Amino acid sequence: MENKRTPLYEEHVKLGAKMFPFAGWEVPLQYSSVKEEHLAVRHNVGIFDVSHMGQVFVSGNDALSYLQNLVPQDISKLVENKASYSMLVNEDGGIIDDLIIYRLKGRYLLIVNASRIQEDLSRLISMKNSYDVVIDNRSEELAMIAVQGPKASDLVEAIGISKTDHPERFSIKELNSVLIARTGYTGEDGFEIIVENKDAVDLWKKLVAHGAVPVGFAARDTLRLEASYLLYGQDMDEQTTPIEASLCWAIPRDKQADYAGKAIILNQMQTKNVKKKLVRFKMLDKSIPRHDYRIYIENQDMGKVTSGGFSPCTNTGIGLGFIDSKEPFAEGTKIDIMIRGKLHPAEIIGKPVYNRK
Amino acid sequence: MTVDMSNVLCTRSHEYIIQEGDVLKIGITDFAVEQLGDIVFVELPEVGTAFEKGDIFGTIESVKAASELYLPVSGKIVEINEKVQEDPESINNDCFGDGWLVKVVDFKSDDLNDAMYYDEYKDFLEQEEE
Repeated sequence: MENKRTPLYEEHVKLGAKMFPFAGWEVPLQYSSVKEEHLAVRHNVGIFDVSHMGQVFVSGNDALSYLQNLVPQDISKLVENKASYSMLVNEDGGIIDDLIIYRLKGRYLLIVNASRIQEDLSRLISMKNSYDVVIDNRSEELAMIAVQGPKASDLVEAIGISKTDHPERFSIKELNSVLIARTGYTGEDGFEIIVENKDAVDLWKKLVAHGAVPVGFAARDTLRLEASYLLYGQDMDEQTTPIEASLCWAIPRDKQADYAGKAIILNQMQTKNVKKKLVRFKMLDKSIPRHDYRIYIENQDMGKVTSGGFSPCTNTGIGLGFIDSKEPFAEGTKIDIMIRGKLHPAEIIGKPVYNRK
Repeated sequence: MTVDMSNVLCTRSHEYIIQEGDVLKIGITDFAVEQLGDIVFVELPEVGTAFEKGDIFGTIESVKAASELYLPVSGKIVEINEKVQEDPESINNDCFGDGWLVKVVDFKSDDLNDAMYYDEYKDFLEQEEE
């Protein structure tokens, strides 16, 4: 199957990007140096073409009760213009996808992973039953540009959106035909701006002209890993529950409405009886953990790395992985990662290696 | 450090060889460096280890991925560049000079027959692109 191209494809090529296939799309891996792009986002501001992601609008008289039935998050508490992180879960509590739900005026916007749009739509449609809702998948017609970094707000102002119009953290605003959300996947302050495909090139060029550094998917991955954000398909899948993936913070205990997998998820939360547990770790030598390397504890093979890489901010290898145990491992626990036939020392860490001040 | 490129031999797997008397200096080519991007970790063998031509003798990691290093000749490692282990970026900055990786002795000269001169290697890269 031919990979799809976003409306910004030509811009990436002009900027000298190395392109690569991701989730059925041809996207920029890097423009110049992954490290420099990474640090631009940490210290200044970077822009990302995230048009591959999916936008699905849900409206209708029963939109709220329909969404309540669909996700663990308590959508009845989501006020207009606010965002909420959640996931679609199946009847066994397995994660179909993770997503952000934004409440707009009279409708909701779901932003989902490109790799899961088909599964998400199937799920949304199969859960529709007799609910009076309209599910409008606009992924193909909408582009999205993420503006991320400590100078993001200044940059967005510089291109003509005054700060009084900026949404607050984890909120969204509708300005004419533009949706501007204050969310992201880097651990920095920033925005995700959604426009019609035809307006994407103009917006991109304006941002570049005002000094934004274009950032590719390689740095997007190192940025999200430093902030310990999970990646669907690597750190979670349908065989992983939100409790196993340490997403308890996104599961309210007191939600009244029923939803798929609720009994299993709440039971796991209470009894802590899970098959595996997410761990976050950093290497204690200079080696770099990668996806699928094995994790050892006291010389026993106990699990595997699901995301690993080099952290440019700390100059160490860091990773996320799952240990086949229901016991949580305390911060500071020594583990080893098997790298090319040798065990390399690492340590469980409590917090992400990068936390925004 | 300036290197006389007419003395540089290159392989199809993007290692280079510079002969200095009885010793071969081995590293990775500028093309390999460009493909890898920011190099952040280098694993080299112990001095004294003997390898066959084509054996994996180490690993180079960039921010993006890990890549194996193949020794272009049979021989024995007589020296490793400890400086690149401390400062992997020196490979990005000067792969043919300060960024060399290992030195090999007791090699088979015949093993060099299929290596290309740098000019030929450039032509080879262009053909690869097509």
